[in-house]
Amino acid sequence: MTDVILTRQSPGWAQYAPFLPVLVVFLGSLAFALAKSSALERDMRIAATQNMLWVVSQTQMEAHALALAVAQQDRDESHIEQRFDLTISRLDLLGRGPQARYLEQIGHLQTVNDITAALLELDPQIHGHGDQQHQALFDLTAGLHPQINRIANDVMIEDWNKAAARLDAYRSTQRLVIFAVMAAFLAALAISWLLLRKQNQLHFADVQNLRAAKLLEQERDVALMYRDFAAIVSHQLRTPLSLIDSALHRLERKGDSVTAEDVVERRAVVSDAIGRLTRLSDTVLLLARLDNEQLQADFAVLDMRHVVQSAVAEAQSRHPDRNLLVSCADGSLRAKGDFHLVGHIIDNLLSNALKFSDADRPVELRVFQQGNSVACAITDQGDGIDARDQPHLFDRYFRGKTHKEGAGLGLALAQALAELQGGQISFETWPGKGSVFTLWLPVA
Amino acid sequence: MNMPGKLTLCLAFLLTAPSLAASDTVLTLSGAISDEEIKFTRDDLLGMSQQQLVTATTVTDGRSTFEGFLVRDLLEAHEADGEVVIARALNDYQIEIPISDFERFDVIGALSMDGVPLSPRDKGPIWIVYPRDDHPELQDIRYDTRWVWQLVSLHVQ
Repeated sequence: MTDVILTRQSPGWAQYAPFLPVLVVFLGSLAFALAKSSALERDMRIAATQNMLWVVSQTQMEAHALALAVAQQDRDESHIEQRFDLTISRLDLLGRGPQARYLEQIGHLQTVNDITAALLELDPQIHGHGDQQHQALFDLTAGLHPQINRIANDVMIEDWNKAAARLDAYRSTQRLVIFAVMAAFLAALAISWLLLRKQNQLHFADVQNLRAAKLLEQERDVALMYRDFAAIVSHQLRTPLSLIDSALHRLERKGDSVTAEDVVERRAVVSDAIGRLTRLSDTVLLLARLDNEQLQADFAVLDMRHVVQSAVAEAQSRHPDRNLLVSCADGSLRAKGDFHLVGHIIDNLLSNALKFSDADRPVELRVFQQGNSVACAITDQGDGIDARDQPHLFDRYFRGKTHKEGAGLGLALAQALAELQGGQISFETWPGKGSVFTLWLPVA
Repeated sequence: MNMPGKLTLCLAFLLTAPSLAASDTVLTLSGAISDEEIKFTRDDLLGMSQQQLVTATTVTDGRSTFEGFLVRDLLEAHEADGEVVIARALNDYQIEIPISDFERFDVIGALSMDGVPLSPRDKGPIWIVYPRDDHPELQDIRYDTRWVWQLVSLHVQ
């Protein structure tokens, strides 16, 4: 049981396996770049401590000011004391904390401490003021000049070295960051590619499934269609065949007493039946070619007057007692289409009109142009079409609730043929009054 | 530096640190205030409400405890009405500080560091100290330059 669960789960995890190392590279590089950049950011802050040269020069200046103060003719004691304090404060600053460590590095801390100690030996607040005292202070402070200058010199060199080393560090950090960002970018690309590939695979599988399902459905449809086809067509074939059969039987039974009149009558029945068979086989053949995509319209510029008239002439010969009215609008009435296919459509619509209206009612054909289409409208004065039947009129094998004859193929084929030629069939119907079926074809 | 040396130096400081007379002016406030010019002694400033502030500085090691008056209090008490304060030090160092600094941060005029009164021989008698550790934005050279040591005058304008 456990095995089963494991094997079922493992593909789920396994499909993410290739992402893991890339993800690690991506996140790792980003984290590295981030850490390095933030370290750089912190280091780039300027600290006042780094301005050592300024502190040293301030000390130099204060020592110099003190020397000047004690050398003055009319000495101001409080001024000297203030200058003394300032000099001590600068030396104090140099001798403490970060400044002291800096000086220690360049070997000058002892110098500064010695100067401070020497100066404090001469503190005027302890030893008071006097010529000797002032002379000693002057000698000491004036002598400080070269020593502090030496410190300033070494501080400057150290500062430049540090600045150069810092810039070197920035540069190498920047290189590392650039490299890390590039690695992250490549990893991101790899992830995108992996995701895309995964998606494509899934999509491909989907398409395969869909195709399989579609094929299955098509196959089912085909099977269904053949069943319906066989049932209906065999019935439709049998009807005219049995008509022919019975006509021949009658003639046979009458034997010698067959009159010329009988022969003419039976002949009409037989020829009508043969006509029906021919049209049925035509329809079936056309449908078969259409379904197998073997039917190609042989496009030509058709004079619709001519097409309609020839169809009417043929129908009239089959139904000599029916009243067929043809009216054509003015103008060229040229359509683009296949002569035989258009003829077949009109013939079908005309046959239906004749079939579904009483013999004493006329069937009317009107040919006219509307917009970019040439129309052939066939109007009957039959019972009209039941509202429930209307949506299925062009469905294959559909036969109306009231009129159950026919194979249910004619209108479906007519519509398919119209569409094949860039046209269509529309209809309007008025229950109890009749219907109009209109074939629309593109103007030539 | 060896330990005895350091000790000697500290002792020297303790012995020689100048004592300020109570009447000595340590700070002068001028400019757009209630009076033309106000002079403060160290006692005047110690008489104000004292504030403690613990922070590191850029020129000393570790965190130190500073104690002094809030610059904001001093300006408010004397109706300072301006945009900036020009702070000047004993050595004539001078810098403009926006008054908004004192409103946004508890900036103090420190009179002592780690319990030891500041002296003109180190960074006293007054050192402007910002609460650097509490606000990262203050850890910037542009604020470091406003830490005036040996402050002697504030001019409001």
